[in-house]
Amino acid sequence: MRSPREKRPPGQKQYYRRKKVCKFCVERIDSINYKDVKLLSQFVPERAKIMPRRISGVCSQHQRRLNDAIKKARNIALLPFATE
Amino acid sequence: MRNYEIMFIVNPNATDEEIDKINGQLEAVITGAGGEIQKIEKMGKRRLAYDVDKFREGSYVLFAIGANGDIIKEVERRLRVMDAVIKYLTVRTDEDVRRFEKIRSYRQKRAARRGSGERPASPAQSAEEAMQ
Repeated sequence: MRSPREKRPPGQKQYYRRKKVCKFCVERIDSINYKDVKLLSQFVPERAKIMPRRISGVCSQHQRRLNDAIKKARNIALLPFATE
Repeated sequence: MRNYEIMFIVNPNATDEEIDKINGQLEAVITGAGGEIQKIEKMGKRRLAYDVDKFREGSYVLFAIGANGDIIKEVERRLRVMDAVIKYLTVRTDEDVRRFEKIRSYRQKRAARRGSGERPASPAQSAEEAMQ
């Protein structure tokens, strides 16, 4: 994916992709807790894989915390490792 | 002294008294070794995200304690031995709490400076800056 700031060659049709923002930064959620299943499940789609940053738009700091929290939640059976 | 959270899952067939008994035992272990109980929360029965020992649901219990490594070691050993406990997880919490406080104080300082200064920042902008 191209960064939005990158110049496109002239003549090419330009379209705008809405800039994704980190949910945790915008809503100022400091604590990403493994017990907060409601919050975490927003970042694990059906297959129960962790949603990549390029799709969710979460910033790297928060993605790291989110990863830790999801993995802890999986460990205590709050979130699945995989679904059939 | 460090702060920990111990969460464990009890066999769904266990009665309330059995859970209380387990809690009482753990409490005795922790306080007896010089630890401090901050919270005991019975979170009730929940469906498990995957089968654990052929159980599809379980009763969750959460302990928040102040303890050291030796106490945690003993508590975990006890949990492993107990038949009714099917899974447990220990998490250290004091580092995280300290981090939030740091962010919060930074934000307050920043807000105070902005208040006396020129224009207020948009929330998204300053939140991003606070993370760095």
